[in-house]
Amino acid sequence: MGTAFEKAIGLIAAGDETLLNIISVTLKMSLSSSILALLIGVPFGVFLGSSHFRGKKILVVINRTLMGLPPVVCGLLCFLMFCGVGPLRHLKLLYTVKGMVIAQIMLITPIVVGSMEPFVDGIYPMIRDTSEGLGLSRGRITKLLINESRYQIISTYLLALSRALAEVGAVSMVGGAIIFKTNVMTTAIMNYTNMGNFQMAMALGIILMGISLVVNIIVSLMQRGSWI
Amino acid sequence: MIVAKPVTKILDKGEQIFTLNMPEMTFKEGAIYALIGANGSGKSTYGKYLLQQLKPQAGYMSQKSYAFNMSVEKNIMVNSENSIEDRQKCAYLMEKLKLASIAKRNAKAVSGGENARMALARIMMKDYRLLVLDEPTAAMDQESTLASEQLIKEYCQNHNCSIVLITHSLAQAKRLADEVIFMDNGRPVEMGSSEELLDNPKKEETKRYIEFYGY
Repeated sequence: MGTAFEKAIGLIAAGDETLLNIISVTLKMSLSSSILALLIGVPFGVFLGSSHFRGKKILVVINRTLMGLPPVVCGLLCFLMFCGVGPLRHLKLLYTVKGMVIAQIMLITPIVVGSMEPFVDGIYPMIRDTSEGLGLSRGRITKLLINESRYQIISTYLLALSRALAEVGAVSMVGGAIIFKTNVMTTAIMNYTNMGNFQMAMALGIILMGISLVVNIIVSLMQRGSWI
Repeated sequence: MIVAKPVTKILDKGEQIFTLNMPEMTFKEGAIYALIGANGSGKSTYGKYLLQQLKPQAGYMSQKSYAFNMSVEKNIMVNSENSIEDRQKCAYLMEKLKLASIAKRNAKAVSGGENARMALARIMMKDYRLLVLDEPTAAMDQESTLASEQLIKEYCQNHNCSIVLITHSLAQAKRLADEVIFMDNGRPVEMGSSEELLDNPKKEETKRYIEFYGY
């Protein structure tokens, strides 16, 4: 274990080509999927949290159910859509990073919505009452609501990115963990461990934890208002 | 004069059905009307109804005003242009309400009384024909209450508007109001000048309320 750890550090220090490719694909996939999930999920979460209409409770329940969607089920659905006999086969998304991003968006967006909706539901009535009393326009109220939600949006993004980085089920089914193409850190750790290549597995594990730490530090600084 | 249409509205308040039943009300310019009554009598509900019916001519300061995540000064200016006139008005209100020393502080970090003073300054940045103030001084100490009451009178006179003051304090109603409206179960039970109603109420419900709360 100790030797494997030392060799893992050596691989990182040497900038092993395979390692760098895995990191690059992981970051490309995770950053894309988490940002897109945020862009879709935040407006929908804000809308759900600030609205009252028939069927709202049903939508909230559906979203909460989707938050618990097993990644392998999501992976299976995407596989069936993108495979050679699937309805979206013409898009040629199977075994591609784009396909993996789509699978992750399906998994992460409900989590983003589920994080924003109760927060907005908690603050919106008072913001609305105060703003309507002042005669503020709808546009101004929306800007103020987004301003009030900024730290929640940051926390939600952290959640989305962490989820994207840690995902293994759906991405391995849709991406196939192809070396130098769709192999990400989580699928690579799984494969290297199965092959007994603990040095690479450990190196990837250390980097994954390192990325999570850096992201957490950045977000903590942003939440303290140092950057915003 | 500003006229509010009559309203009969049935509201589902969870455990009970509440009926708001108010006649046409005429509010004279430059006059302060105190709306008094027990909790649940419909004062705030009627205040919100006045806002809905008369906006944008009407403004409303709710019991629990929200402090936006920005400085006290920016909160006060939230509905204003950044003109010299508005900045001067803001400075004046902060001075009168003793908020100048905390102008740059984040509004989330102020006390309940400071929040209430900030909310009052914020609503007074704009001109309204009718201004509804829902227990504006409930969270304030004695000194702040008197300063706020002075500003309310000043606002009413300078803008020649009508003010509807929702209050639990009969003493405050006596100090400020030209007319008092006593509400019970969503309807006005008795209306009159502050001297008539508070010193010589005619209706039994009004007498019981005033005896219970005293002033």
